Amino acid sequence: MIKEMVNHPEDIAERCQQAYEKAQASQDKLNAVITFVDPKEQLEKLPSQGLLRGVPIAIKDNVCTKGVRTTSGSKILSNYVPVYDATITKKLEEAGAVCIAKTSMDELAMGGTNLTSFIGPAHNPWDTDRITGGSSGGSAALVAAGIVPMAIGSDTGDSVRKPASFCGIVGVKPTYGRISRYGVIPYTSSLDHVGYFTRSVEDACVSLQVLAGRDDLDLTSSNRPVPDYSQALNESVEGKKIAILANVVESVSNPETKDMFNKLVEKLKQAGAIVEEYHFDDKLMKAILPTYFTIANCEAASNHSNLDGIRFGVREDGADMKEIMTNSRTKGFGPLIRRRFVIGSYGLFEENQERIFRKAQKVRRLIVNAMKDCFKEYDCIIAPASSNIAPLINDKNDGDKLSADYLVAENYMAMANFSGDPSMTVPMGFESGCPIGVNLTCNAWQEETMFTIAKAIEDITGYKDLQTEVK
Amino acid sequence: MEYKATIGIEIHCQLKTNTKMFSGAPTSFGRKANTCVNEIDLGHPGTLPAVNQEAIKKAIQACTALHLTIDPLVKFDRKNYYYSDLPKGFQITQQFHPIGRDGYIEIPTSTGKKKIGIERIHMEEDTAKQFHLTKFSLLDFNRAGTPLIEIVSRPDMKSGEEAESYVEALRQTLFYIGVSDCKMEEGSMRCDVNVSIAPKGSDHLGVKNEIKNLNSISHVGKAVEYEIKRQTELLEAGEVVHQETRRYDEKTNTTVMMRRKEGSVDYKFFPEPNIFPIQLDPSWIKDIQEHMPELPEARKERYAKEYGLNEHDIRILIADMEMSKFFEEVMKYTKNAKAACNWLLGEVSAWLNKHETSIDKSDLKPDMLAKMIALVDDGKVSSAQAKQLCDDLMEGKDPEKAAEEKGLKQVSDTGALTAMVNEVLDTNAQAIEDYKNGKGRAVGFLVGQVMKKSKGQANPGMVSKILEEELKKRI
Repeated sequence: MIKEMVNHPEDIAERCQQAYEKAQASQDKLNAVITFVDPKEQLEKLPSQGLLRGVPIAIKDNVCTKGVRTTSGSKILSNYVPVYDATITKKLEEAGAVCIAKTSMDELAMGGTNLTSFIGPAHNPWDTDRITGGSSGGSAALVAAGIVPMAIGSDTGDSVRKPASFCGIVGVKPTYGRISRYGVIPYTSSLDHVGYFTRSVEDACVSLQVLAGRDDLDLTSSNRPVPDYSQALNESVEGKKIAILANVVESVSNPETKDMFNKLVEKLKQAGAIVEEYHFDDKLMKAILPTYFTIANCEAASNHSNLDGIRFGVREDGADMKEIMTNSRTKGFGPLIRRRFVIGSYGLFEENQERIFRKAQKVRRLIVNAMKDCFKEYDCIIAPASSNIAPLINDKNDGDKLSADYLVAENYMAMANFSGDPSMTVPMGFESGCPIGVNLTCNAWQEETMFTIAKAIEDITGYKDLQTEVK
Repeated sequence: MEYKATIGIEIHCQLKTNTKMFSGAPTSFGRKANTCVNEIDLGHPGTLPAVNQEAIKKAIQACTALHLTIDPLVKFDRKNYYYSDLPKGFQITQQFHPIGRDGYIEIPTSTGKKKIGIERIHMEEDTAKQFHLTKFSLLDFNRAGTPLIEIVSRPDMKSGEEAESYVEALRQTLFYIGVSDCKMEEGSMRCDVNVSIAPKGSDHLGVKNEIKNLNSISHVGKAVEYEIKRQTELLEAGEVVHQETRRYDEKTNTTVMMRRKEGSVDYKFFPEPNIFPIQLDPSWIKDIQEHMPELPEARKERYAKEYGLNEHDIRILIADMEMSKFFEEVMKYTKNAKAACNWLLGEVSAWLNKHETSIDKSDLKPDMLAKMIALVDDGKVSSAQAKQLCDDLMEGKDPEKAAEEKGLKQVSDTGALTAMVNEVLDTNAQAIEDYKNGKGRAVGFLVGQVMKKSKGQANPGMVSKILEEELKKRI
């Protein structure tokens, strides 16, 4: 898709304008965009070359774009216009990408539904009564609706890979440190990854080619050379050792999903892959979600202390600086965020830190060790990305939060954020007309292996360039 | 009852680096408000810290000079609190793993040298400056993010004098090695002092009071002495010393309570996730330590050994680094260290004080001062004449030319002096008689007469010598 666009430079202006208009036309139905970006100015400054030259893209609204409002989905930043570009914004611009929209997201990326953005919920293009998943839901919706072939997201627990599953597209989170986080409004620094959506594995390779690389402004970014990811598409899945994350499959309550997954496994075997069941300690699997929430809330409470209305953002009145800060924060955040900050602060208090935050870090280490053990034998871990298709927006039934289905099948993907290992979701099949994905995770820096296996799955399912018309 | 005081000092010192601790923005003092900032210093969303290597180097130099053990694994932590001068809502510091531990500094006291322990040195970033006006507050973020080291002493000091001496010794050391400007009045060195008193002989410590932001060395001594007096009086009157944060009031020479401390603030310290631990290359540390600028103590020893100067002169010379530097420049052109030292600490310092300037800003040239010393040593100019040439010398003029212009050349011509001596002897028979009778005074009188005759231009040394010779001839 991307290559074809780049090969037709004569269509650039029309293509980008169309995408911009199409995004606007879809807004009533999808509510996927926070700020539309007119492509005209960018088209005038388009570089003469680039892997994404003239490709319309969308960027999640937690990525700073100089001169273009960046809200991170929160009221407190609803007037924030960055004075600087994120490193990836620059990289995309240099590669010739044309941003047409800043997309909706859960407030401060702290959610998995895309229901908590200050502009209201985003709608799934396959069924607008359903959620897109979050927190990168707006980006996922625009890619699934065929408006842009690529969109940037961010992934702290599964914020790219879950919406990719619900929207029937490819969602990638590479190794921690592969893509610079400079200029991406954080959620949890030690778990945050820049990720992205495409509609094919091929486009996923090109996109990573553009985004990856060391950035001196992000000390956690890696100096490793960036390989030619597209080469991975020519490799065979034959002989690749794939571990089925059995704990997840067993926890999936929906027999249709199980069936779909088992069929995929059979076909992978037929293609020459060695696919075997692998069990993690069930206790560790059930600990993923609470561990994730503990670390995430603690770091987030500290990360977002800069949002005080003093230097930028929406400032509320107050008698003195302290009151201004208190009022700005109280009125600027949604109730869920405020609750999370309180929980996070609680976990960081000196008297609690050892038994809450530090303990969670220890459990995180145990989970990562278990993953590294698995990677001693296997190239890849796979499992359904979700137990079910996207829930209905109005579904008030939260379900049993202590069930294996919720704790494991719906929320295990954060394990790849714990370890920083590359992980991606590709479409697996449909239920009731809505897509559901399969997730694969490889060892650190093994993005090429991941793309090879993802391509094999794409070939098996035939779900390439999957999109739906928003009516 | 008699009491003993226990004093510990925390010093924040801005490091002399070109850029900030975690951003590429320039460090500055006295620049227009909010011009030396970037998105990182302002704590804008999405920014990340990048560690300034120069700041680590300076911290290592400070640790080395103060004999601390360096932790080669550099780690940073977050100190979380809300304040309008703290852009990120947390300060990046080194709570759990300071770069240096367990050092000391030797300080001079009236009863001899004393070692003061240094518990730790850690790196952190400075906050913004606040200006509270009646109806609003102003914030200047130029200072935000400036690299700091915090030096925490052990509670080893017992008096205002020792506290003062400690701060002065630290200031001199850090200034000498180029780690900091150490300008207390400008805030590049800030001092918090903890004072407690307890009955002499008791093994427990009293309730501690912290005096914040002392901005001169003399205030340190005065504040400590006042605080000891205040706390003693409280205890003597049977009252309780509360744990308080106080400030020094220079108008009244007292300390004033700012707030009472009730339990400590929970800063929710945790490791900074955006900076992975940095393993320093041991050879880099070694290189820094082997190329340390000369410490004041080492310089003192060298001046005694190389130049044979006395301790008193050395101490004064070294106290002013620029003066000391200038002295060494002068020594490239002369061998007379004592004369160079006397000139600098005497005439030159007096002139600088009078003109309210400093040696580095004056026009005095090291080679010209050396020339002046040579003129005196060679008898071409007398000491008294040399003093008259001081203005010219300080304006950068060649003293030899200036002496000529002013006609201040000393007469050192043997023939002319011998003639003058004989003229004097011819008219002072009584003095010759006295000399014969062993009255030593006579020679001095005769020299005076010759000097008078020459209008002060005769070389007194040569006059004495010739006079003795001529007198012998007449006996």
